[in-house]
Amino acid sequence: MTAWTLCIDFGTAYSKAAAAPDGAWARFDPAAVRPLMIGAHEPHGNAFLLDSAIFVDDARILFGRAAIARADALAGRKRMALKSFKTLLSVSDLDRALNTNAPLSIDPHRLFQMRDLIVLYLAYLLEAVARASAADPLLAEASRVSLRYAAPAWRSGDGAGMHQSIVRLFGEAEAFRQAAGKKLTAAEGLAISAVRTLLPKVMESARPLDMGLIFEATAAAAYTSVGLDDGGSHFIVVDMGAGTTDIAAIARVGSRMIELPDARVTLKQAGDFIDQIIANRVLDGAKWARSTEQKTELWTLLMRQMRDIKESVFEDGKAVLRHQGRTIAISLRDIEKDKDFRAFYKSLVDAYVHALTATRGDAAMRGQREVQAIPVGGGAAAPFIRELIKKKAAKQTPRVVPRPATPDWAHDRAFEGNLAPVFPQLAISIGGALAPDAMLAARGGFSPAAAGQTGIGAERD
Amino acid sequence: MRAAAKAKAKNPKGSRKKGAARKRAAPAVSLAAPLAEAAWAEADAALAQALVEADEARSAKDEGARAAALDMLLLSLARAARRRGMTRIGEIGARESYDAKRHNLIDSGARAPKTVRVAARGVSRAGQVLAKPRVVRARKARVA
Repeated sequence: MTAWTLCIDFGTAYSKAAAAPDGAWARFDPAAVRPLMIGAHEPHGNAFLLDSAIFVDDARILFGRAAIARADALAGRKRMALKSFKTLLSVSDLDRALNTNAPLSIDPHRLFQMRDLIVLYLAYLLEAVARASAADPLLAEASRVSLRYAAPAWRSGDGAGMHQSIVRLFGEAEAFRQAAGKKLTAAEGLAISAVRTLLPKVMESARPLDMGLIFEATAAAAYTSVGLDDGGSHFIVVDMGAGTTDIAAIARVGSRMIELPDARVTLKQAGDFIDQIIANRVLDGAKWARSTEQKTELWTLLMRQMRDIKESVFEDGKAVLRHQGRTIAISLRDIEKDKDFRAFYKSLVDAYVHALTATRGDAAMRGQREVQAIPVGGGAAAPFIRELIKKKAAKQTPRVVPRPATPDWAHDRAFEGNLAPVFPQLAISIGGALAPDAMLAARGGFSPAAAGQTGIGAERD
Repeated sequence: MRAAAKAKAKNPKGSRKKGAARKRAAPAVSLAAPLAEAAWAEADAALAQALVEADEARSAKDEGARAAALDMLLLSLARAARRRGMTRIGEIGARESYDAKRHNLIDSGARAPKTVRVAARGVSRAGQVLAKPRVVRARKARVA
């Protein structure tokens, strides 16, 4: 019986979870890392990803992939699934944001506040984590499991208060999960009438869930440096997600990891902004799309295929797509010429230089010779981010060592080449599970994991 | 649950030697298969797209349409390969010292060449070479 650490990465588009046995940091064995199949109850797709979405239908509440499918089917009626919880959970006045009513497009019945919907989604996530833990042959035997969640470093602006709000939300979600059980992951979701009866009751008696907080940048530093004899002391992490580009720096001081607040920069432009630039460039070039209807149709197609388009543009230099018998091409060069992109890139360079100067300064002060630079998130594949890191790795001391988005150990034979392709998506949860307690931004206690004791209940399917 | 089902199917029944049982139990805790399934789930759509574009290329009525279909076929295949963790070896047109172990020489000649030019990149996955780069004899650079 081994004790395990489980980290939840509450992502903008997908949630992920991974576990590692206690002591994995000191005696690292790549094969012991366990990404969890939290999306395995869904019929198709990647079993390690859980769609971050909840949809309020006529009489039921749907979660995950079912929520997205139903929202897509009703898009013409201006109905939307609630997504991007992460953005909401990161606002400075969280309690106020949670106490607002959900918009009409999300909750046409006007029954729920944002807090209710987030608690319901977290309950769904915790149930998916519990099912995945129970199905994992190693984790199901755990003597105990300590929980963590990953969050961007800039949240530490009002630090402890924010963490308390989040663990309270998780506590309410866990209480609801205990009451609703397996129904949470059923494809048909939950009846609104049942939720309205159950939710107020469980929220009254809920207690904060015992879990730690790890900064995403620290998690990146952890998976980058784990198992290395000289894992480095200073890390600068460039994380371009969907909504924000976060640059953060972490320094190892003794056995502890500290965040360097002076190096912390957040840009409000990120992946979604690049999506808009690409879509606008295509629309500008599509002279045949004259009517609003044609333009809307093309925009919708572009947004639906944007992940593939961006991947091809970043990795192969161009993307080509078909629309109504026409082929449309967009190249990286087209994007780089864009005025908005150039303005974003300038801000990115300024932000990186600012963060790097602060990180180098701290490293020099502590007598260190190196700063490791790690690209993470969807932007890790962007050539302009890789170029920026490479270009600024000047021959000054402390020198910058660019690190790959996927660490060498992810290519370990134990995974037979299958972890590396999906590693970037699971990276933060894996790093969060591997990091020792000393790296945590806020501590949690332990949640017994054995069958039904609380926390993550272990229950075989 | 997929992993649980697989683990159960592979779980040996009856008493066996402890060492042997441990060896057989290893695949049950390995995540390689579900991770591969996840990578395939990511690659499937791109591969399907490539097949459709292959038909488009074959039935194209003019060179422009064929070129566009081939472009899309290549991009879709590249995406599928990336999502399965494949990487390309070499750069098209690059001159390299010939090594029979690393290169697939596609022209005939009595003697092995000293220098070759990469005509088509190779493919590797998890450190294993799946296809060697195809190379041709490099012509000597002309002296001005």
